[in-house]
Amino acid sequence: MQVGIGLSIASDYLKAAKEAVEKARVNITEGNADLAFVFTTGEFGHPLVLKTISELLNNIPILGASTPALISNQGIFKHGLLIVIFSFTEETYFNTACVKDTSDKNALAMGEELGGKLLYGCKGVHRNLTILFSDITIPSRQNFIFGIQEKVGSSFPLFGAFTSHCPDTKKPLLYFGQQTIINAGCGVLWGGKLNFGLGVKHGWQPLGKPRWVTKSSGSTVNEIDGQPAVNLYKDYLAQDIPELKKEFKHISTLYPLGIKIKGEKEYLLRGLSSIENDGSLIFGADVPQDSTIRLMIASKESCLKATRQSAETTLKSIPAAKIKFALVFNSLARYTLLGRQVNQELNLIKEVLGKDLPLAGIYTCAEEAPLSSLNYLGKTYSHNNSIAILTIAS
Amino acid sequence: MATSDIINILFPLFILTVILLGMLVIVKIRRVKQLQSQTEELKKSLDDMDEQAKLIVRTDMELNKIQDELDKKITGLYALQRISRATSTALEENQIFKRINPEHLEDLGFERASGFLWHNEEKKFILQLNVGYSEEEINRIKIFIGANEERCLKLIASEKTFSSLSQSDNLIAKEEMRNIFSVTSFIISPIISQQGNKGLLFVGTQNTETLITEGDEELIKILATQLGQTLDNAHLFEKTWRAQQELEDRVKERTRELTLALEEVKKISRRKTDFVSSVSHELRTPLTSVKGYTAILLAGKLGKLPQEAQERLEKINRHTDELVHIVNDLLDISRIESGRVIMKLEPIDLRNTVAKVGDLLSGQLKEKNIYLDVIMKPSACSVLADNSQIERVFINLFGNALKFTPAEGKISIQNHKIDKMVQVDVSDTGCGIPKEAQEAIFEEFFRVDNAINQGVKGTGLGLALVKNIIEAHGGKIWVKSKAGSGATFSFTLFAAP
Repeated sequence: MQVGIGLSIASDYLKAAKEAVEKARVNITEGNADLAFVFTTGEFGHPLVLKTISELLNNIPILGASTPALISNQGIFKHGLLIVIFSFTEETYFNTACVKDTSDKNALAMGEELGGKLLYGCKGVHRNLTILFSDITIPSRQNFIFGIQEKVGSSFPLFGAFTSHCPDTKKPLLYFGQQTIINAGCGVLWGGKLNFGLGVKHGWQPLGKPRWVTKSSGSTVNEIDGQPAVNLYKDYLAQDIPELKKEFKHISTLYPLGIKIKGEKEYLLRGLSSIENDGSLIFGADVPQDSTIRLMIASKESCLKATRQSAETTLKSIPAAKIKFALVFNSLARYTLLGRQVNQELNLIKEVLGKDLPLAGIYTCAEEAPLSSLNYLGKTYSHNNSIAILTIAS
Repeated sequence: MATSDIINILFPLFILTVILLGMLVIVKIRRVKQLQSQTEELKKSLDDMDEQAKLIVRTDMELNKIQDELDKKITGLYALQRISRATSTALEENQIFKRINPEHLEDLGFERASGFLWHNEEKKFILQLNVGYSEEEINRIKIFIGANEERCLKLIASEKTFSSLSQSDNLIAKEEMRNIFSVTSFIISPIISQQGNKGLLFVGTQNTETLITEGDEELIKILATQLGQTLDNAHLFEKTWRAQQELEDRVKERTRELTLALEEVKKISRRKTDFVSSVSHELRTPLTSVKGYTAILLAGKLGKLPQEAQERLEKINRHTDELVHIVNDLLDISRIESGRVIMKLEPIDLRNTVAKVGDLLSGQLKEKNIYLDVIMKPSACSVLADNSQIERVFINLFGNALKFTPAEGKISIQNHKIDKMVQVDVSDTGCGIPKEAQEAIFEEFFRVDNAINQGVKGTGLGLALVKNIIEAHGGKIWVKSKAGSGATFSFTLFAAP
């Protein structure tokens, strides 16, 4: 397998597309490009950009997403276009698929449809991994994931990103082939000869006494300990609802909920998405009723420590020398928390995995990965405030 | 056993059992109470810890907010520094605003900006800056500004920075600003320069999460002030540049005029040289006749002349000699000036020339008892020169020194080498040359106005001839003197290879 990465920060979108493709192609010295990931900041999300890339790459399958900032080996970029080109050996198989117009009612069915489409043509092939790009605005995201897992297997490793909105259109953009799509999900299923390592960590620590979710539905938590859910934040921060809303940016970034998962050391984080006037809270992913929860707190140092741990975890599956490519899905909350230190996080990853390693990534609203990432056949969860690193070796 | 016996046995046992059970119950109750108390303690501890956790969260929140604000300020200050660096190098007014790019604004926490400057002659605001607005949006803003010129000028006159955080709705309503400028938060700051420029800088964001702080207002105020200063600098630069251009034009014009005048002077000089040359030629023929006939008469070849006639003829002869000398000098000068005399350059030893001239003038030296001090360094004696011409140079310089050095005085000759040149200094202890005359003495017919010159005859051509000869050799001649303290004439010649 060969991987080529091209980054362009040219302000002319089409020029940037051409430049990035040219740079990425340099590393593909044998065989043809088979698959491409395209990551862009919001302003580059235009069908013409994808058309240009697609034509330059002979219409190979393209997947990708827009993001507020790009992660590359060269740094974090708030404006730019990043292309990853893969050239596989004959022993590696893959299949791409996409579903559009997901809604509350059909999320499960759409997930199943996507899972089914991904499996198409992979019968009799050893299946390894699915990389998924989904729209954060998809209602019932957990159902959507359940749907996929129904088809590909509940313990089959999913590595995914729920992308955030583009600042201009306020809508997320996913890329599939030459199309820019919203309210959708797309992915690639890999099979055959492919080794990979996964690491997912957050760095938040529980604080205060455990509490119980007494009423919830999906990602909406109505009551905690029999009280309106918002009381949790009101108590801890000594603020009323209008004040909490005013400080929402800080609260959602700094103090997610941690769900205790039986048998797991790590808490599963849920970032606050909105505070409703009736006192209920909406989180970045599902919070099951009767869950034991804790308020979580982190510092920049603990976040960076978790980043190092996440990168180091991937090395337990593949040694650094054999890694061909690293894909990073990093939470936007971490981007906000780390502020001017975001590049330190990138440097830590490079320090662990190799400073010249081809690396690409995006900032996300939610990350999909197995919690016990070492045993990658474990159950996949939706994470918030986490950094998920996938390393691939041929 | 009788029933009563059984009862008698069992009753105490029963009583004992009851007592034991009672004791057990009491122990258990105590234990439960103890556990309850411990549970209460634990619960209380947990609640205490939770209270402490609340304090931690609140403190953490405050610290994070402060950290955020600090980060924002540092990023903003870096952005200001970059904008300052970018704009301060702009030397034209219309280039200043073009140097502000979306990345600068983004680091300040905004993605949209517009800037207007008031045009004094056209009496309207002119758009200078547009970041993040489409053509349609910016046209709408231009129309709004045009329709609210009075209010905008009042905003500028107030010299205050406003924002969606602080602005009162007195001048322009916040909501109206938000709609027109398509933003949720904004800051507007007047641009004021010392040179009279004035305008408005508007920055804004559509991000609903962005909260304008006083720190943001302060940063934008600094930016607007910087822009005002940069406009001043650009004005001053333009003014200086224009003045320099004018000066350069005037220098060019003067140079052109001077070149023309110089050409004219050269033309006149050539004419003068030609005139002097032809007149001298014309004078030489009759002078030769006068000289010849005078010699015949003086020799008595036409008979003995009376004493008085003899004396008059000798005067004629002497004056004719002087006139011939003047004519010869004039002819030499004009020949050298016109380039008709070619210097026969060859290596010569200056010691020989000096010795020869010294011999020639030894009589006069003795007569005035003047000491000739010749200190010629052997290493600086060999020069490339026309020997006969250099002899004339020494004759003239020695002659002048003799003429102006009083009896018992001293004339000294020294030499030394400077790079490829040999410098010769002829010094005397004479009356010296006033400073104002030191340049003019090399001009033709110039004589210093002093008592000695009034008593000593001279043509005023000697030094002019010397200068022409030295310059024809590629050398230079100059004099250093102080009235009353003698004079030193120095000249240079190329050293022989």
